[in-house]
Amino acid sequence: MIASHCLVTRSNAGRLLAVLVPALLLGVVPVRAQEAGDDLPRVTRTHAITNARIVQAPGRVIERGTVVIHDGLIVAVGTDVEIPFDAERLPGDSLVVYAGFLDGLSHVGIPKPKADQNRERPDDPGNPPDDYAGIQPQQDARTMLEPGDKSVKDLRAAGFGAALTVPHGRMLPGSGALVLLHGDDPDAMVLRGDVALFAQFQGALGVYPATPMGVMAKMRQLYREAERRRLIQQRYDTDPAGLERPPYDDVHYAFFPVIEGKKPVLFYTDEALETYRALRLQRDLGFPLMLAGLKQSFDQIDALKEAGVPLFLTLDLPKEPKKEAKAKQDSVEAEMAAQYDPTLRTATYRDLEAERRNLEARQRESRERYLKNAAMLHEAGLRFGFSTMDVKPADIHKNLRLMIEHGLPEDAALAALTTDAAALLGVSAMLGTVEPGKIANLVVTTKPYFDKDAKIRYVFVDGVKYEYDTKEKKEASGKEHPTEPSSPER
Amino acid sequence: MKKPAFFLGFALLMATAVTAQPQTGSVLIKNATVLTVTNGTLENTDVLVRDGKIARIGQGLSAPGGVEVVDATGKYVMPGIIDAHAHIALSAVNEATDPVTAMVTMEDVVNPYHIGIYRALAGGVTTSHLMHGSANVIGGQNETIKHRWGYTNPDDLRFEGAPRTIKFALGENPTRVHGNRGGGSGKAKVPATRMGVEAVLRDAFEQGLRYKEAWERYEAERRRNPRAVPPPYDLRLETLADILRGDILVHCHSYRADEILMLLRVLKDYGIEKVTFQHANEAFKVAPELAAFGAYASVFSDWWSYKFEVYYSTAYNAAILTRNGVVTSVNSDSGELNRHLYHEAAKSQRYGGLTDDEALALITINPARQLGIDDRVGSIEVGKDADLVVFDGHPLSVYAIPVMTFVDGVRYFDRERDPDDIRLHVDPEAAVDASRFVTDEDWHALEATAGWLFQF
Repeated sequence: MIASHCLVTRSNAGRLLAVLVPALLLGVVPVRAQEAGDDLPRVTRTHAITNARIVQAPGRVIERGTVVIHDGLIVAVGTDVEIPFDAERLPGDSLVVYAGFLDGLSHVGIPKPKADQNRERPDDPGNPPDDYAGIQPQQDARTMLEPGDKSVKDLRAAGFGAALTVPHGRMLPGSGALVLLHGDDPDAMVLRGDVALFAQFQGALGVYPATPMGVMAKMRQLYREAERRRLIQQRYDTDPAGLERPPYDDVHYAFFPVIEGKKPVLFYTDEALETYRALRLQRDLGFPLMLAGLKQSFDQIDALKEAGVPLFLTLDLPKEPKKEAKAKQDSVEAEMAAQYDPTLRTATYRDLEAERRNLEARQRESRERYLKNAAMLHEAGLRFGFSTMDVKPADIHKNLRLMIEHGLPEDAALAALTTDAAALLGVSAMLGTVEPGKIANLVVTTKPYFDKDAKIRYVFVDGVKYEYDTKEKKEASGKEHPTEPSSPER
Repeated sequence: MKKPAFFLGFALLMATAVTAQPQTGSVLIKNATVLTVTNGTLENTDVLVRDGKIARIGQGLSAPGGVEVVDATGKYVMPGIIDAHAHIALSAVNEATDPVTAMVTMEDVVNPYHIGIYRALAGGVTTSHLMHGSANVIGGQNETIKHRWGYTNPDDLRFEGAPRTIKFALGENPTRVHGNRGGGSGKAKVPATRMGVEAVLRDAFEQGLRYKEAWERYEAERRRNPRAVPPPYDLRLETLADILRGDILVHCHSYRADEILMLLRVLKDYGIEKVTFQHANEAFKVAPELAAFGAYASVFSDWWSYKFEVYYSTAYNAAILTRNGVVTSVNSDSGELNRHLYHEAAKSQRYGGLTDDEALALITINPARQLGIDDRVGSIEVGKDADLVVFDGHPLSVYAIPVMTFVDGVRYFDRERDPDDIRLHVDPEAAVDASRFVTDEDWHALEATAGWLFQF
């Protein structure tokens, strides 16, 4: 860091600050080692945040109230609440309490497997072993969880208490689980398993299916053959006499709950074309579908409306253009008006500058569409949650603010982080609001969360408190202190 | 900001794109020289288009209320050009992992954002046959599209009702990709030779036949026995069975006369009647045999010697085939060539002395017949789709320039309103490079001599 200091010029020092400061404020800079003293019992599992502004749900606010947490649940919320004798009192003056955020799709808590370099390529690339081709729908996120993984800590520090997490892989990496971002052991994280069959248009390397069209064809093959196997299995289960024993394999059998409509396929789609492909597969095969990613959905609002499936929009946004290409006007609209000539026809060699100006203005306009994406989905009346799949936790707050600046109402953003996400994941009874009876997942901020300089003070997951240093310091600290060790009985 | 009306119209078009069927248009083109292709040339003639269809052809037609009139005095109107072999507007070209990949289809990877569509329109091309690459003996199924630039949903580009087609490939490409495979990407396998290509074809058809029979047996047994067990589902074999049933037209990448005859024999043995030989540089040697079979040929006008199997070639190919009664088209196989297919047709005329109608048929009604869409497009006839191009001179002249292109009566290209930046989507992050002339897209489609097509 010191060495690089001398390289920091005035101009890019500003940029560096712009990146680092919000990160510092939110306390999401890499946290030091794991909490100590795991073997000690907790002092108490009761907490009371007093005198705080409580946003129970988007638009439902208690200005000065108290939230009581006991044994992992929210037990009381209101202005006239009796605080239990054993509660740890947390003065909430000037603090704001929200329901813990939900992440609709990521790999949180699942370490990325190391690539096996030495693995030999299959002899027949047209018919490779399923796992080599990335076809592993029988895998289960529950068996891959590591509560101590850095990703858990980082996402929790950004305010998230629960996530739908899925295995890493290619076309069909396995089933996702809804997990709490906390736990003494992997099992303790699991809120609900087998939530969705994760799929993506990720071809295999050098073997079938290598291309998106291969992935499409393979999906049809697997699904239709699974339908057939389910049929004969059912027939066999009813009366095996005289029937050949049905073939068993875990790949096809993993599709059975999907075929029965009990489990959706959760497709991660990057560009608009992938979303169309997922919708096409759904139309052809008829499985229940959920979509995540969707960063170009501004081009397909009507198709998404027609599909009527749960959506989890990526929290990733295009990077800002390089400094030299930055807009000189206040708004991109003004910039476009001043600089963009949609009818420009020039031979490049005659007026390179005019062409460059035009191309850069057009690119800024394109970025704007990405920033308006969430607002457009909202305006179209589509309900969505968010996915943290491709975003650094440190960028989440900044990107949410950009979406809000581009027309997404704050309440809609909050709903996407809490109530709507819970509804789309089918866990509204447990998560998503600050109400008695729900799991004690909370985010406590120093200012309204969407304010520029809001900082996260506490995150509660499953009733366990994580505290963040909100003092502004030069050095990166943002330490996470769970003030109590985890309870051994869990 | 003042936006020209064209852009407003364009924005409107894009806004309505996903909600309904693609738009159709009405227009009256006045006073043109109309090259009907199937009914000769009509001087000083009007073409009235209503709701995407050619409604009337004649003189002194008047426009119904609200219908735009285009004065084409001194200009030429011809049917929209049809490219029977293209790889534009695709997210992927080759699923090169197996000698037989009949289960994949280009329909799944149509990319309506690809600028090649607009460039094709600027060359008067209104329909493209988007083909799988030539890495495999039996490649993927192809997709026929209309160039409805501005729609982003791939479904909106589909040529509704066009028959299914599939790519086959003979000769050096499949033997190089599979027979000479080595170095970490699997072991070499059949076919390594032209004999092997035939073996792969026959083996595939045998399997398809058995699959078809197994399902027919099951369907019959099911009526007697409710507990009948369906045979395993196999999308690859099902597609092969569909070829055997005659539901899919074969379009075969081929060069040499011997391999062309080989495929004719194989198809005859399996009762498959519809085939178009693509490239077919040596088809002129076996033109009578092709005519007798009823096979079609889709060739380059004068592209050859880019690899060993294409040295024995001639610019008389299209003319010899035509004169022998083979339905012949001239195609591009390239995002560059397809912008001047009218030149390519003119070259065949220059060498082989074809009549104007014969030369124009190479890029209109003949490719339409090869794709099974000649009842809809390929000539200017009442009742056909209003896919039309207006040229400022005779399209077989080297000086001719396309000035307007209509698809379904909608003007998607107009040389008067042709700004530099017509892209539908701009990468929000990629570096802006104003001085770059050649983009990856230009290299997207070449015949597959480029090694990268086979890298995996």
